[in-house]
Amino acid sequence: MAAPMQARSLWAEGIALALIGLFCVFPFYWMVTTSLKTQLVALADPPVWWFTPTLANYREVLFEDRVGVSLINSLIVATSTTALAVLLGCPAAYALARFEFRGKTDLWFWFITNRFVSPVVLVFPVFLISRELGLRDTHLALILMYLTFTLPIVIWICTDQFRSIPRELDEAAMLEGASQWRIFRSICLPLAMPGVAVSSILSFIFSWNELLFAYILAPNAAKTAPAMAISFMEGYDVPYGKIMATSTLIVVPVLIFALLASKHLVRGLTMGAVK
Amino acid sequence: MTLRVPRRTIAAFIGPAVAALAIVGVAPLLYALWKSFHDFNLTQLARQRWVGLQNYQTVLTDSDFWDAIGRTALLFVSAVPVQIALGLAIALVLHRPGLTFWKTLTRLSLVLPMATTYAVVGLLAQVMLNQKYGVINQMLGWVGVDAINFIGDPTNAFIAVILWDVWQWTPFVALVLLAGLSTVPPEIEEAARLETRSPWTVLRHVQLPFLIPSLVAVLILRTADTLKLFDMVFTMTRGGPGNATEFIAILIERVGNRQFDIGLAAAQSIIMLAITIVLARLYIRLFYREVS
Amino acid sequence: MKLKSHVSALALASASLAGLAGAAQAWSLEEAAKPYAGTELEVLFLDRPGYNAAIQMLPDFEAATGIKVNHTTVPYENALGEQVRDFVAGGDLDIALIDLVWIGNFAENGWLVPSETFINNPELADPALDMADFFPLVLDAFGSWNGVNYGLPFDNYSGLLFYNRCMLEAAGFDKPPATWQEVMDTYGPALTKDGKYAYALQSKRNETQSADSFARFLWPFGGSFLNAEFRSNLNSPESQAGLQFRQDLMQFMPEGIVAWDHAETVNALAQGDVAFITEWSAFYSTLKSPETSTIADCLGVAPEPAGPAGRRPALGGFSLAVASQADAAEQAAAWLFIQWVTSAANAGRYLELGGVPARQSAYADPALAEQFTFIPALVESWQEGVPEFRPRFAEWPAITEIVQEYGTRMMLGEISVEEGAREIGTQMEAVLEDAGYYSGAKPLAQ
Repeated sequence: MAAPMQARSLWAEGIALALIGLFCVFPFYWMVTTSLKTQLVALADPPVWWFTPTLANYREVLFEDRVGVSLINSLIVATSTTALAVLLGCPAAYALARFEFRGKTDLWFWFITNRFVSPVVLVFPVFLISRELGLRDTHLALILMYLTFTLPIVIWICTDQFRSIPRELDEAAMLEGASQWRIFRSICLPLAMPGVAVSSILSFIFSWNELLFAYILAPNAAKTAPAMAISFMEGYDVPYGKIMATSTLIVVPVLIFALLASKHLVRGLTMGAVK
Repeated sequence: MTLRVPRRTIAAFIGPAVAALAIVGVAPLLYALWKSFHDFNLTQLARQRWVGLQNYQTVLTDSDFWDAIGRTALLFVSAVPVQIALGLAIALVLHRPGLTFWKTLTRLSLVLPMATTYAVVGLLAQVMLNQKYGVINQMLGWVGVDAINFIGDPTNAFIAVILWDVWQWTPFVALVLLAGLSTVPPEIEEAARLETRSPWTVLRHVQLPFLIPSLVAVLILRTADTLKLFDMVFTMTRGGPGNATEFIAILIERVGNRQFDIGLAAAQSIIMLAITIVLARLYIRLFYREVS
Repeated sequence: MKLKSHVSALALASASLAGLAGAAQAWSLEEAAKPYAGTELEVLFLDRPGYNAAIQMLPDFEAATGIKVNHTTVPYENALGEQVRDFVAGGDLDIALIDLVWIGNFAENGWLVPSETFINNPELADPALDMADFFPLVLDAFGSWNGVNYGLPFDNYSGLLFYNRCMLEAAGFDKPPATWQEVMDTYGPALTKDGKYAYALQSKRNETQSADSFARFLWPFGGSFLNAEFRSNLNSPESQAGLQFRQDLMQFMPEGIVAWDHAETVNALAQGDVAFITEWSAFYSTLKSPETSTIADCLGVAPEPAGPAGRRPALGGFSLAVASQADAAEQAAAWLFIQWVTSAANAGRYLELGGVPARQSAYADPALAEQFTFIPALVESWQEGVPEFRPRFAEWPAITEIVQEYGTRMMLGEISVEEGAREIGTQMEAVLEDAGYYSGAKPLAQ
């Protein structure tokens, strides 16, 4: 009696799983197939599901429309800001995890609050400042501004990670006369590597995806891929195929990273609130 | 318990990060505050002058600003409950034992929407929701529903934004809640299942208490993201038609970037920041209490 | 080589300006450009036919001069913002791309160099420049502000009526509507059926709403944005009649028209979903090409319908001007490019490649009108246009935002036509007050 019921509920569960998966994946399927359509096929009414694919959109966006350059810009910016965030964030996280000092709680609150601040609040003053400093349309301007969200991510995740390292290790090293810096560098940091890796991946994803700073601060030479994607939205002609080809090129790298870090993605996105 | 170390050492560890964040995060805010007391329009720079609180007065009496705040709140209260309900359902399915391989696969697919570039999500909406060429309308046609004008009608456009927000963030909510479910000690859960056959009772009395932290986290983060929501709407509707999807970040971008009124945009930003900080502090005190 | 170029310059000059051929002998593009070889110019382009035509012509210019023109394509929606930010920041742009409604703003901010600077420089001015050959309305509206010329008309539009001749004939019409009243009374009801609509009016909340939708129904009805004292004229009986007319006409337009931009509108005609549209002349090539249009053989072009106050077709377009932030060499090189790309000698080629030149001489050949059927309607429209179709003063960017907001809300029925017009009027006057028009600090120029 139990067996058929179990089988039926397994079936129901299987269907539910399939629906959930379809719900998540279908837009990507549509994105990729649209990117392989010519304009006429993309604008067919009703939409077509079977057609002869073409790589023309990719050829066009990569070689004629400078999407290739913008992807390289995105890569430079996202990698550099991530490296900088790790460089600055790891020691800070270590201090927050290990040392006791006045104002620690306030500092903590301040870091967390940054997660809430909308880029639109910062972008106009930053535009004016970058104009004064000659940083407009440079990678550096974006790399620095992206620290506003990458640095908090690194600090949170790594603080958590450092806390989980047994203190006995530090204390033993201390007795042997090692300096704090040495303990951090040689003992704790290697053990905290998983946290560093996860926060790096998240920093990279967030920087790669950012639009508003890129759109205002880097109009030309340093233009990143998301800003490039919106530049096809001319009211005169909406080239769906090209837009989707660019979108695919932008999204594929972050999806790969997200899948690599899938186990830790939720922890990162919730700033360590959920283990 | 924690070590006593010289202040100099602490400063050396934490100073660079604090300085960096102060330069990129705080200095621009101070600059914005300063500009918010000016008549400062990029296309009228010859006219710039100190105007005191005039920009704030304009914002506080501007119905567009408060409408945008109201719209942002409305988006939050309509999208987040749906995300929590669907997310919980998904989490409960994934939490059940069996079909391990398929569940791992489903979990991987859940990771995809939340990592997708937000601007691309909006572009996808344009392509898929188009009244004529959109695949969603084609699918609705299969079940006998007439094509819906998603982008062109104010109410539909708002609903479309909700739907798309639900698509992108329900998986996130599901994964957070799933992590919460796994904190329920297995022996307690099993004992409960032996006592009652109603999954609802198990959820209500056994699992829910363990889910509270996850739910609070979801509320906090969804609040922050809704206040920040820009990319997806910008590429999908640009706030239109009319004002229908003009959320707070979209409004500020329009004032600063298309009216070039940086002074007014700064005042709006400062007020929005004040709202954000109040909410953030409230939430953080509520939730991150144990941290200190 | 040198001799050859002299000869070609001579031939070129004598073709258009026979009388001055003697003076032209001394000038050639190659010679003029010599000091600036290797200069790189930065300019923003749009993804529209006129720019694609210019891009195809560019290699000739670069080969002749050694000047490199780096063009970045941006959507129209971003073009103003990117240029304003670049000029404010002292950025890289050497050439300004000016929509006619930006000219007052750019000029008053001192971002442009008056063209006189170059015209009076015999080293740089092509003797065949012939400013009088530009349609006077276009030169005045697109490139001049307060009596000073800055830009030469480059990407030039007039509003035209594009129609589907086959659809009209099937409904028993042998010609397109000549007045808006006919559209309302006969064409609209007859052509709106079976899921097809008579008319589509692009009305999206951006410059399209102000320029293509709102203003298009003010002027033919005798309305205007401002009266002689620069107060709002939007609640005048004429303006109200026009705006109300637009509202009533929506029954013959597809639903959701308020979200339609040019792409949707042109495509609706191209797919045979609507019978006619009022669109910029630049769309001719899109609608005429079988690759993008299913009605290429049925396409008809006429001037826009007239209203009670006559025909007041939409006027729009872009000029190119030298940016004052460029250094001396870049300015000279920029002028040479602008002068070349808008020249009478290149107008024919520009037209062939899909651009719309503003040179009167380019349209003189009657054979062309047969090949490009939009020419007669275009030339006619440029005789009758209103330069202040949209006011061109520095405050327009602020005012257009107001018009866009309440114009769309009006169409959506969220606010009545009268209320909406009053709201725009109040806010518009506040902007003008701030700018100092009412205190006499600024002359009443639009």
